[in-house]
Amino acid sequence: MNSKAILLTITSIMLATTAHAADPIKIGVPVGLSGANSVVAPSVVQAAELAVEEINAKGGVLGRPLALEIADDASGAAGAQKAFDSLIFQKEVNAVISMETSAARNAGLPIVSKGNVPYIYTSFYEGRSCNKNLFVNAWVPEQQVPPVVDNFIGKQGAKKFFLIGSDYSFGRGMLSFAKSYIEKAGATVVGEEYLPMDGSDWTAIISKVKSAGADAIITSTAGGAPNVTLTKQLRSAGVNLPYGNLAVDEGTAKSMGGDANGIFISASYVTGIDSPENKAFLAAMTKKFGAELRTPNDLSVPQYEAIYLYKAAVEKAGSVDTAAVLKALPTVSYTGPRGVISMSKQHHAPLTMYLGQVQKDGSVSVVQSYKDVDPGNQCPNL
Amino acid sequence: MTLLLDIISTAAILFIVAAGLLAIFGVLKIINFAHGAWLTVGAYCAVVTTELGLNPWFALPLAFILGALLGGLTERFIVRPLYRRPLDAILATWGLGIVIGQLITLWFGRDVHFTTALMQGTVDVLGTSYSFYRLFAVLAALAIGLGFAFLLDGTRLGLSAQAVIMNEALARALGIDTEKVRLATFMAGAGLAALAGVLLAPMTSVDPNMGVPWLTGAFMLVMVAGTSFGALAVACLLFGAAQVVVSTFLSPILGGITVAVLCAITLRIRPKWFARA
Repeated sequence: MNSKAILLTITSIMLATTAHAADPIKIGVPVGLSGANSVVAPSVVQAAELAVEEINAKGGVLGRPLALEIADDASGAAGAQKAFDSLIFQKEVNAVISMETSAARNAGLPIVSKGNVPYIYTSFYEGRSCNKNLFVNAWVPEQQVPPVVDNFIGKQGAKKFFLIGSDYSFGRGMLSFAKSYIEKAGATVVGEEYLPMDGSDWTAIISKVKSAGADAIITSTAGGAPNVTLTKQLRSAGVNLPYGNLAVDEGTAKSMGGDANGIFISASYVTGIDSPENKAFLAAMTKKFGAELRTPNDLSVPQYEAIYLYKAAVEKAGSVDTAAVLKALPTVSYTGPRGVISMSKQHHAPLTMYLGQVQKDGSVSVVQSYKDVDPGNQCPNL
Repeated sequence: MTLLLDIISTAAILFIVAAGLLAIFGVLKIINFAHGAWLTVGAYCAVVTTELGLNPWFALPLAFILGALLGGLTERFIVRPLYRRPLDAILATWGLGIVIGQLITLWFGRDVHFTTALMQGTVDVLGTSYSFYRLFAVLAALAIGLGFAFLLDGTRLGLSAQAVIMNEALARALGIDTEKVRLATFMAGAGLAALAGVLLAPMTSVDPNMGVPWLTGAFMLVMVAGTSFGALAVACLLFGAAQVVVSTFLSPILGGITVAVLCAITLRIRPKWFARA
């Protein structure tokens, strides 16, 4: 460490001490610690904790430290109402930043409007959720689907697609966009089938895949169990077509072992991104959490970046006043593990997307990257 | 051809899952709502053998023995005082199921687990390639069915069990140790449930709640079938076929509720239909 760095550290420690005297800026994080999101929620909380720790170590925001208020939304609408209510009206947070299910987001939005705080949503979702207080820094179908379809048509010569999903808004939203995109690209969809979210018997659908003569499959199931059962049953039925899975993440793919081999995934974050920002982020996560570390993923990294985006907006606005922060949010940008992120397009963010393929050992190798994929017209009226 | 294979293998899987529940209901007249939990325990036996790097087939005897042991404890300490209060027994076993589910969550976490496949690949059946494992499930179902037929008709325990099924008071008067018969049946039923869990593991995801949807299906089938293994086989074939046909030709979403709806209708109009078959 040279003398300059030491000086910097000392000043930052001093700044941090003085900042502690000031009132903290509170960030509410309603997240599914129980229920469907409970598998991924701990990684999201860890990412938020690292961002806050880093920012506070460098003097906080406008001389004030950041403080997290975590609340369990139970991954659903009823829990989200309670969580948002207590965060906004009892803890009086200055902003809400969180990864949640679509049901929880929809239930929380009216409360966000009523309490008038900025809300940055950090989960990929089916798109077209528009509210003047809501900003999104994760992907929508318009960004995730094209890499998979383009690769299958261009590189694998696929002409007939079979779409399989779980019967809920995200599953149907993703596949209906995929269908229109496939047809626009000149290929056809020979089948589109859904199973309820708790369904685990894909037998009939798999038989249809075989009889329909499809040459590529795209699936969008709920995460966890349905995704695993479908993949296992497809593999045991001997289906070895190009297989794009819109719902599998790197961590799940790794634990699925041999069955996941060859699956294509499309994401805005994979751990293998070769940039100094990503390497620094991964090193900091490992250092902070050690053995407790949950692998950073496409849901936790946007959470980390969103806190920095909020910081940038508050600094630009010069205060935590909601109207001023909302005005600043679409104009600021932050260079994080996923690259340069700015929620400049109708409250959504153009993102670099990565098409990855799961290898035999469970790792994901990036086949191709697509720079700054546009989210499309999500909210033309905002 | 695929349709036919789908029907047979679906029916076989239903039968494997419901057999343990039927064994207990047949002799003890008690619905064991912890059935789903035993099934989950069995599946986690497969997870443990996978993690220890043992031969995946080893999970089968391990699950049966563990299931039978846990079943024996349950019978002795929870179910035995409740034979005259079948409704309370339902509550008690349901509660036990929740406790087991939570214990598994504490130990293994909520995440989905993965097991080594017992067998992989496909075979050609009259020109169509079909999952090898699903065909194996048919054999397993046959083995369980025939095994039970032999146990009931060919052994002393089976004879005693039949006597208990027909007239318990008389059986006791004849000197049959009904308590022992009950204990043995409960252990066999729980062991079978755990065995079913191992057999299901390669086809489904293994998580702490995996048993619940299977419990519902098995419960409906057993209600329709009554106390006879033959009736259960017929019910599984018919309702399994209906499920596959509805899923294939109408919608898989409707297919998912077919078994439950048909069972409800059957119970409404002819409660003893299959039981007489």
